[in-house]
Amino acid sequence: AAEPWPENAALYQQLKEEQILLSDNASSLAVQAFLQMCNLPIRVVCRANAEYMSPSGKVPFIHVGNQVVSELGPIVQFVKAKGHSLSDGLDEVQKAEMKAYMELVNNMLLTAELYLQWCDDVTVEEITHPRYGSPYPWPLNRILSYQKQWEVRRKMKAIGWAGKTLEQVLEDVDQCCQALSQRLGTQPYFFNKQPTELDALVFGHLFTILTTQLTTDELSEKVKNYSNLTAFCRRIEQQYFEGHDKDSSTTVAARSAKRSLLR
Amino acid sequence: MAAPMELSCWGGDWGLPSLHPESLTVMAYAKFAGAPLTVNTINNSWRAPKGDVPILISEGIVISQPAKILNFLRRQKYNADYELSAKQGADTLAYIALLEEKLLPALLHTFWVEAENYCSVTKPWFASRIAFPLSLYLPGKMSREALNRILLTRGGPPLYSLTEVEAQIYRDAKECLNLLSKRLGTSQFFFGDTPTTLDAFVFGFLAPIYKVCFPRVQLQEHLKQLPNLCRFCDDILTCYFRLTLSGHSPAGQDTADANLQKLTQLVNKESNLIEKMDDNLRKSPQHPPRKLTTLKLAAGGEEGSPLNRLSP
Repeated sequence: AAEPWPENAALYQQLKEEQILLSDNASSLAVQAFLQMCNLPIRVVCRANAEYMSPSGKVPFIHVGNQVVSELGPIVQFVKAKGHSLSDGLDEVQKAEMKAYMELVNNMLLTAELYLQWCDDVTVEEITHPRYGSPYPWPLNRILSYQKQWEVRRKMKAIGWAGKTLEQVLEDVDQCCQALSQRLGTQPYFFNKQPTELDALVFGHLFTILTTQLTTDELSEKVKNYSNLTAFCRRIEQQYFEGHDKDSSTTVAARSAKRSLLR
Repeated sequence: MAAPMELSCWGGDWGLPSLHPESLTVMAYAKFAGAPLTVNTINNSWRAPKGDVPILISEGIVISQPAKILNFLRRQKYNADYELSAKQGADTLAYIALLEEKLLPALLHTFWVEAENYCSVTKPWFASRIAFPLSLYLPGKMSREALNRILLTRGGPPLYSLTEVEAQIYRDAKECLNLLSKRLGTSQFFFGDTPTTLDAFVFGFLAPIYKVCFPRVQLQEHLKQLPNLCRFCDDILTCYFRLTLSGHSPAGQDTADANLQKLTQLVNKESNLIEKMDDNLRKSPQHPPRKLTTLKLAAGGEEGSPLNRLSP
């Protein structure tokens, strides 16, 4: 933990154009935004088996020096141990609020994205199954996607989301966006002047929802209803992703345009 | 305004109107908003509703989850959040998400998964309130569902064994309690002087941890070290739940709660004294140790009296 941040730190995620799904892309973008905000250079590496390389089974994960850390929560703590932190200036009550809002995003937005990808039959048929197994030959691609779908559906059932209809899920997303919009108000970031990990997380999810084309536009419409959230996304994109160096230039260009997740 | 609504939920014990966190949340919200509810606790007759608990029945409409029940009550003009600003409403949602993610797994574990607690307290209590032969099956099913939920949501790699998962969820729960305590600070309720939805949810989750007497109580001990949260639970119990409990005389409940509060304060004072004496001991080794043991016994004796109210 005492070593400085190396130059060749890498972030691993799945293949961007063909394989990665909505929820994984959101998580990956959140981590990239966080590291940009901390001014730590990171290289994005795309591998088909990123999920299996990760120590916790989830993407993205970063490879720094000789350590591998996955998911935003542990990465924030790891970066803090190296001496960089975005939330040091907050007092105790604000830190509690920040943690609460991060849980809100994980609880509602991430679960809704997972629901849409794996429990909504149309999306599963047309988008998820083709994308998820695309690097692998038949029948492995089908087996892997069914396995993952079964796992996600089991989890949804355990937390009570299996009984929800798509409209109810979209309503929950709307409620969550409303809460975020009200909390953001007219400020540039959630905790006024400086961005924190909460801003990175919200940016990751909202930007991905806004720029990903699914079978319907309902999800992105819900977010577009809140103009301060779209302005927030644009602001962070302009400040931290455009005009940034050769490493992320290809990823940025691919992301700023409206991308299609259809095959 | 509407005809009185009926709420079916699990009953209570140890001074609580209900042991089930979601039922408690709905009951607390109804009290805060002034909604007239007749509470039917589930007993072991076959007429008890099966399926999700709590259930609200109003003029033939049946509503089942706490969030939906609260929405329904708000639409009927029983709104406890009337004076909240938009930002406070957003904060409510965020803190509820925090409770569900961080505190609920540990709560479920304490009640349903921890073997000693489950076998000696939870299972007999719930089984006595469900009709035979369902009472042989339903508590086991609830326990399996709780374990399933914990493992599926928190049990992935790199945590590979149940003990590691348990350690992690209790750490998260203690952190969550600390965060709630910091957010509450010295005010009476989370958003000023009137209770709101967030207070109902926090009360619903905290009160069972606080009051139910289990053999294994690490979460309860942690909660007792946060006096503002304990005071918050006690306040709501004494102010809002005095009069409606069937089978509990209101005066008896009052004095029992007042006694409990005095006892808690006494225990806290004793533990502060014990800490000071510990410090003195370290500084001056010839301090007689006998005083310490008698004090500890006294504290243990006083803590023992609430245990007497454990019903078989």
